[in-house]
Amino acid sequence: MAQASTPQEALPTPPASEPREAVEPSATASAPQSSEQLPPRANAPTVPEGSPSIDERLTADEHRVEALEEQNTETKNDLSALKKLRISGYIQARYQYQQDLDDSGAGGYSRFGVRRGRLKATYTTDLSQFMLQIDAVPAGVTLKDAEATLFVPGTKQQLSVTLGQMKWPFGYEGPQSSSDREFPERSRVVRNMLPSERDRGAKVNGRYKWLRLAVGVFDGNGTDSGTTQDNDKEKDLVGHLGFDLKWIAGGISGWYGHDMGRLPTDTFRHAYDRTRIGADLQAYFDVVPLGGTSIKGEFIAGRTYGAANNATHLDVPAHGWYLLLVQNIGLNDAVAVRYDTFDPHNGQTDLAAGEVPGADNAVDTVGFVVQHHFGENLKVSAVYEIPMTHAVAQALDPHDNLFTLQMQARF
Amino acid sequence: MKKTLLSSFVAFGLAVLPLTAQAGTVTVKGSDTMVILAQRWAEAFMKKNPATKIQVTGGGSGTGLAALQNGTTDIAMSSREIKEAEEEKLRARYNTPPSSVAVAKDGVTFYVNESNKVDALSVEQLKDIYLGDTTSWKAVGGADAPIVLYSRENSSGTYVFVKDTVLGGDDFASAAQTLPGTAAVVNAVSKEKNGIGYGGAAYAKGIKELKVKKGNEAFAPTAENVKSGKYPLSRELFFYLRNKPSGEAKAFIDFTLSAEGQAIVTQVGYFPVK
Repeated sequence: MAQASTPQEALPTPPASEPREAVEPSATASAPQSSEQLPPRANAPTVPEGSPSIDERLTADEHRVEALEEQNTETKNDLSALKKLRISGYIQARYQYQQDLDDSGAGGYSRFGVRRGRLKATYTTDLSQFMLQIDAVPAGVTLKDAEATLFVPGTKQQLSVTLGQMKWPFGYEGPQSSSDREFPERSRVVRNMLPSERDRGAKVNGRYKWLRLAVGVFDGNGTDSGTTQDNDKEKDLVGHLGFDLKWIAGGISGWYGHDMGRLPTDTFRHAYDRTRIGADLQAYFDVVPLGGTSIKGEFIAGRTYGAANNATHLDVPAHGWYLLLVQNIGLNDAVAVRYDTFDPHNGQTDLAAGEVPGADNAVDTVGFVVQHHFGENLKVSAVYEIPMTHAVAQALDPHDNLFTLQMQARF
Repeated sequence: MKKTLLSSFVAFGLAVLPLTAQAGTVTVKGSDTMVILAQRWAEAFMKKNPATKIQVTGGGSGTGLAALQNGTTDIAMSSREIKEAEEEKLRARYNTPPSSVAVAKDGVTFYVNESNKVDALSVEQLKDIYLGDTTSWKAVGGADAPIVLYSRENSSGTYVFVKDTVLGGDDFASAAQTLPGTAAVVNAVSKEKNGIGYGGAAYAKGIKELKVKKGNEAFAPTAENVKSGKYPLSRELFFYLRNKPSGEAKAFIDFTLSAEGQAIVTQVGYFPVK
């Protein structure tokens, strides 16, 4: 409007390629007023009698702009809510070949499968978080995580309380996402001590500088127990106290609870101790010119474990550990080697039944991985694992080496 | 069978291990606050090192740090410190903790229209304004007129800095209009006489910069006040890398920290780290 007094100057015509925004709004606004001072152009449209005045049209336009601003605010508020919603997921599809167990051709397999098909929705605000994760695989759709979290006000989300179904806060490999792991499955000791890795309960999670604490009360039997509701009043206390100094992190874990079960010698069910202790350490180095190097290790010992409500190894003490070395090669490649060992029954001598080793003999496993990232969404891993079951007397280590080719797509 | 499997394993490894680094090009992405500064650095560096190409793009600190994680940039520019979650993701993916280099200092500046009577506000007053508790300029010594709030997108490091430092982690008022880039905020405030916005000092041309009260004194975002720490909203501007700087990326970072590089910092309107 400020330029209304100099309407004689012709406005420059922007080239066709120039965006419309290049025209000064003030210059455009001055055009209507110029018609009062200049004679109408020959081809100018005639304004019919009784049509709204320029002021009326401007007022109407202003109202339209105000209405658009209101709509814009509404849209912005809607989008703001959507920005808090995050949908993510990943699929792990694989081919596996396991060699025949013996020379007769028995055992072994060659098969394709979908190991994990995860879909996760997270909605996070300053005070709360909703998280739901399902797993859709050929065997069916199961609930993995259902968490309702309160971030304690005034702690900048450094302290939170979560209720629902979640991972046990124990150790490193258990809570670690399967999409981040180099190996397709967790080590044998973790698979035995933390079957399904999840349970229903309540957890407090806190961070202060380099200190990390997560502790919770859980039903105790895990989501693989086959029941959707706890079948006893015993509750388990599980926690991890850790530290994170960027290049090195780790912690200690503890678990104390009971499992209601009956041994063959029992007349009635007893509350047997279900305990675990653990220690984990992860170190990260930047010394090899090819890329980052990490070394991770974890030790777990415990009593009463296994699937089906831990009834498979009621009151049985066991322990195991693993050591993992990962070397990145450039941006997209990495190689890893893992050695893990698990003794299913502390103190029990390894057994043999003819050429077959005892079911509770210790097993050591060495595995190798080569992985490549195709962009940010796809990871291909080739894995070869060699389990070595302890064999005594006439028993032979079963031929159960396993090759896995896995493609993981995530978003 | 074991031999066959191992052979295929090795063959796969050799097939998928191509070196992907694009020699001679360093990509720099992230903070909109730092784009102009990084472009000036890149121009000066490429004059001296014609064989090296520095590509600079904006998008916000969060975008840059995400690109660092995805492997689509060599250096992420960030006007805020990296979040723990971002750091952990980088470490998990690349098996080494990311490294950071402070390359310049900045005073986050609140702007008002030149015609606004208000010259200085305390951090508390700014907080009340951006939380939506104070809605009229009259409440802070200005005209009896509604306050029009301008803010940044949540991928912006400046947004995160203001949210954490000024708002104490609380959410911005829903009335705050989100604009894509500090230049857009400055432009909007210069046209809206009741407007208030924020951004880096380098963009503060043609509008009035507010002083920030601390006790009985008020401090402008000047070089002296930012360097001495008297200005309450001073911050460092960072380069983040996946691992320790090496090769051409290191040469570029060394240049930004050299006397010549830090002189460019001053020319652009920021403050040197040395």
